Amino acid sequence: MSKRIQALLAVLVIATSIAAAQGAKTTIRFFHRWPLEPRKSYFDALVAEFERRNPDIEIEMDSVINDAYKEKIRVLVSSNDIPDVFCSWSDSFAYNLVKSGRIKPLNDLLARDKAFAASFIQSQVKPFTFDGKVYGMPQTIDGKVFAYNKAIFAKAGITKEPKDFDELLATFATLKKKGYPTPIIEGLADPWTISHYLGTMFQRYLSPAVTAKDYNEATGEFTDPGYRVVLERFQKIVDFMGPNATSITHTDARALFAAGKLPVIYIQLAEFGLIRKSNPDIQYGYFNFPAFKDGKGDPGLLTGAPEGFMLSSTSKNPEAAERFFKFIYEKQNAAQFVKAVGAPVAVIGAMTPDNSFPELIGAVELINGVEGSAPWFDNAVNIKIADAFMRGAQAVATKDKTIDQVMAEVQAAAKIVRSEAKK
Amino acid sequence: MRRNNVRAAAEPLLFIMPCILVLGAFVYYPLVQNLAFSFFRFSAFSPEKVFVGFGNYANLFLDKTVGTALRNNARYAVISVLCQVCFGLVLAAILEDRSFRRVGQLFRTTFFLPVVISISVICLLFGFIYRPMDGLLNGFLELVGLGSLARPWLGSSKTAIFATIAVSQWQSTGYVMMLFIVAIQKIPEELYEAAEIDGASKLRRFFVITLPQVREMFFVTSVITVTGSVMVFNEPYILTQGGGPGTSSITIAVHMYQSGFFKDMMGYASTLAVLIFGISAALAVLQLRSFRTGEE
Repeated sequence: MSKRIQALLAVLVIATSIAAAQGAKTTIRFFHRWPLEPRKSYFDALVAEFERRNPDIEIEMDSVINDAYKEKIRVLVSSNDIPDVFCSWSDSFAYNLVKSGRIKPLNDLLARDKAFAASFIQSQVKPFTFDGKVYGMPQTIDGKVFAYNKAIFAKAGITKEPKDFDELLATFATLKKKGYPTPIIEGLADPWTISHYLGTMFQRYLSPAVTAKDYNEATGEFTDPGYRVVLERFQKIVDFMGPNATSITHTDARALFAAGKLPVIYIQLAEFGLIRKSNPDIQYGYFNFPAFKDGKGDPGLLTGAPEGFMLSSTSKNPEAAERFFKFIYEKQNAAQFVKAVGAPVAVIGAMTPDNSFPELIGAVELINGVEGSAPWFDNAVNIKIADAFMRGAQAVATKDKTIDQVMAEVQAAAKIVRSEAKK
Repeated sequence: MRRNNVRAAAEPLLFIMPCILVLGAFVYYPLVQNLAFSFFRFSAFSPEKVFVGFGNYANLFLDKTVGTALRNNARYAVISVLCQVCFGLVLAAILEDRSFRRVGQLFRTTFFLPVVISISVICLLFGFIYRPMDGLLNGFLELVGLGSLARPWLGSSKTAIFATIAVSQWQSTGYVMMLFIVAIQKIPEELYEAAEIDGASKLRRFFVITLPQVREMFFVTSVITVTGSVMVFNEPYILTQGGGPGTSSITIAVHMYQSGFFKDMMGYASTLAVLIFGISAALAVLQLRSFRTGEE
């Protein structure tokens, strides 16, 4: 054999060995919904650190934003192309994924590793539990509050936070009179912002028996006149949002608030970190959605639900996926998340005065102090109904539809949902 | 002898087999399967399918969003033909004119540039232009004293669809213009010279030489534009968050996508897909018949 052929063979053997060594790496697919900063950098670093500690595992990370994520994860789950580890909202969004039968129950994992199971605020695990099985673990905890600029309130002579809905409208009217033509902007170009309002207002105004019946896919009719009243009252808030109410996104509205140009915004506690990043000096207070004097629901609840991660039951590498899953929730990683993102987490002891700020600590106290939580509306009801309300209320805001038309569309959607549930 | 005949008969089949297989697997099979799906009600999460006959088709007539979407698609088609095809032809004729030859190349590149930019990038760009409070468009209107015309372009149901259509025109006119430039370059120069000797003005030369000579291309671009208008998806999906406010700027393709992947009504989404196919096929046949010249 000539030397040249021998050299060629040697190269081939080395190349094959390298390829085999690379092939020996286990690949895990990780999918989340944060392609934007600051979470993007956090997850990039988390994955890099995990790969450094586990050289036998490679993480293939992918991400798309919010609404696109909702659609893409549904497509992936339905097409059996489900990622090994992925993020999910809780309640009905999670339940819809669970119904596919492709989400891994975590009961065995939690039974095997009791310390891991005990590391979470237990109330936040419940929204991921269906029929006695846990399908996801919470990462962030959340709630929706009205945040207000303290300096603007002081300038307008507003000294107390509104205690009921009438006082809330009066506060907006005062701000308008004092030179703030749009006292509140929400960013209704994003339909989900509407669902956050409506969900809270339905919960506050309607009797729990009505929402329990209507939010159930098999029995929901949405014929109670209270829904109409809530839509009317929502329009009263929208009237204060000015002509650009439906053309501004929530991100823009938040930027206006952080810049000190907007007096009030209805915002998630998880967004506090983003406000702080934009403007660390802004002084703001916050309060839960005020009660309706004639409301039948519990005004002490806070709208909001945890978000977390799930595992695929069809994963080819379940052991490696589980290792990464647990790594996400390690206390030091959760603490780093709080520091980098500024959002409250469900891992006990991860939030300290060193890695958070007063508003965030207050937010956690608020979550722990309320009587209970109400789920996000678009997670609490079937998406067809949520969509009819969101699109409908958007059209009412632009004066293209009447509230009666919207309710007719909601009831039509509920009819479809009922028929599907009964099949 | 017989074996040779069989081989001779089989050879062409073998040559077209890859094409048939690819078309069959990626076009005709999904088309037939989609048609079958349109008679069922099913969720993407569940393997169960409920046969509903023509139930989904009956729902098409009850669904008001379908009417809104088709009206918006029709607006897209009409405006696109006027802007892209008619204006694209005029642009091409001007740039191919002898007096524009020196600067023609620069303008050609400039007008064609938007075609090679991703539609997602363009939509983000126009999102900034249309911003109600600090957007370029409203800022410009105020600068030139037309502040009263400033409005929330994407946030108003009256302007959202037209603002969305305008983005498509900005992107695609250059492409149609380029196709017309190719067609105009193929027109024999002698025709123009003869007309010039006869004293025909530039406008007359355009109407009696350019226009008849590019009618094949006129047909091709019309088909591309109109069928493209039926399937338009990206612009309303990105710019107006899926056809908002409400459903004022929704198109039939966005409605199909949202029905399937947002509302999880896969059977109904298949029905909407059949509708889209029917409309685009009918329009293509109609245009084929009315424009057929048989020259190319």
